[in-house]
Amino acid sequence: MINKKFLFVCAFMPALVFTVFLFSLLHGSIQISFLDMLKALFGCGVDADIAVIIKQIRFPRTLMACVTGAGLAVSGCVFQAILKNPLADPFTLGISGGAAFGATAAFVIGLVSITNFFIPLCAFIGMIASVLIIYLLNVKKKFNSNSMVLSGVVVSYIFSSAVMLMFALSPSNSVQSAFVWLMGNLSTFDERLLPFIIVVVITGIIILSLSGNIINVVSLSGEKSRTFGMDIEKNIKFLFITASLITATTVSVCGIIGFVGLIIPHIMRKIIGTNNIILVPTSAFAGAVFLPLCDTLSKTLFSPLLIPVGVVTSIIGGFFFIYLLFKSERI
Amino acid sequence: MIRIENISAGYLNKKVLKNISCNIYKKDFFGIIGKNGTGKSTLLKIICNLIKSYSGSISIDDKNINSFSKKEFAKIIAFLPQYVDTSMPFTVSEFIMFGRYPYMNIFKIPSSYDYAKVKEVIGFLQIENLTHRKINELSGGEKQKILIAQVLVQETDIIIFDEPTLHLDIGNQNNILKILRDLNEQYAKTIILTLHDLNAAGEFCNKLVLIEDGCVCRYGTPEKVLNYKDIERVYKTTVVVKTNPISDKPYVIPVSKNKIM
Repeated sequence: MINKKFLFVCAFMPALVFTVFLFSLLHGSIQISFLDMLKALFGCGVDADIAVIIKQIRFPRTLMACVTGAGLAVSGCVFQAILKNPLADPFTLGISGGAAFGATAAFVIGLVSITNFFIPLCAFIGMIASVLIIYLLNVKKKFNSNSMVLSGVVVSYIFSSAVMLMFALSPSNSVQSAFVWLMGNLSTFDERLLPFIIVVVITGIIILSLSGNIINVVSLSGEKSRTFGMDIEKNIKFLFITASLITATTVSVCGIIGFVGLIIPHIMRKIIGTNNIILVPTSAFAGAVFLPLCDTLSKTLFSPLLIPVGVVTSIIGGFFFIYLLFKSERI
Repeated sequence: MIRIENISAGYLNKKVLKNISCNIYKKDFFGIIGKNGTGKSTLLKIICNLIKSYSGSISIDDKNINSFSKKEFAKIIAFLPQYVDTSMPFTVSEFIMFGRYPYMNIFKIPSSYDYAKVKEVIGFLQIENLTHRKINELSGGEKQKILIAQVLVQETDIIIFDEPTLHLDIGNQNNILKILRDLNEQYAKTIILTLHDLNAAGEFCNKLVLIEDGCVCRYGTPEKVLNYKDIERVYKTTVVVKTNPISDKPYVIPVSKNKIM
């Protein structure tokens, strides 16, 4: 059984990611033929505009979509296990609130006018601050899942109130820019950050994929996990920090892209089962398929107008949950 | 042998256990009985090293339980608490495999021996028909068997159960306790468990300890412990204690006081 699933992860999913990657390169405001795309990629005799679109715009954007999708999906798996709730996601603990606060501050204070690097930097700092607050609030409570969710909700409310306050006190043009960022966007990130993001996210995904059985045992009740000789608090801390770092890295660059970390592990669990040894890498691949597809939709739905990819994922996610609600009594 | 010496413990200002002492020998089928809230589960958790704040000492084969590493300890004692989260939809065989966790390598990937052990336990408990089902979709009795399978694959000499028959019907209760007796008799496992059902305790255990307000009230064979005077005092109800004509074990019948009067 596990071998069939392993084959699915190792062969079918990477092939699917590759296919979607190429599909995403072909589609956008301008349709490009497969042959032109290949020529552009390999740098042989193609129109200069097409070469620019493929190599400098679509390639990094699609790569970013794949990495972000994979990272958010894997973080979702981990947070669902830590919180013992299949409906949790990377943002349930409110760590996106910190990112939103940091990025909004960068827009409102005017740091953006100095350099655009301040947006991801401030978002990252804000997110790390919220992770730190949640961590400190839960050290005494021994990372109990209920207290983690509760502290997450509280942190989220505090940061969103702070964001609202900044909106209320700021000029409308900076509010507009901050608002677009908050919706999650793959069209405005700085390409120079891409190698850094790839290294952090892929390393995190590999570490978490190798920790599949640890994630499994963490998802049982704490008392039971301890009887297996597991240092539950140490493992929850390790998983929480790794998954948060992946989320912080992607979100600080692309904004808050909701639902990926929720629906991807959920769908994959239905297809491949709950065993995180298989589920974590499969979710990574599935996230790397889902987000480029959503991004392609965001580029083509109202072409030539681009809509934030976070809007597309949220609409799909919303309808998916309505479907689940009606399909089965148990989610 | 597990030596329990002068164990006292409590929560906040309430002292739950007061100077508990007793010995549990190899191959004992040891039952802990007493009213709700008398500290039975607390005692089990102290033996399992899950509660650290207590006074007194517990040793296994003359080695204090605090001197074992977590992994070493998990290979000596397996524990099935009253509540285990089964909300994540793992398959039954995946769920049983978690019991092999203490034996796995750094990446916690199951080895072929781990798979063989899981298969062996599934065969022993005759639950082959359940292996591909989801744990969260099973009935109470089926789930309890799977939880027992999980502690069995842990391959420990001592297995501790906190109310293993809670919420089960009489048939399932009997089946589960028979499995535990087989483990005790055929596989020489030391079984320690808490029970509310005094008749089951009398029928299956070879040693009992009756706890009253955090202290040992009576300790010994079921015939010695299950006497109507102690039971009536501890449980504050009228009972009749008789001997089962088939098994020769004591059983307890609660009596409506009004009728007697």
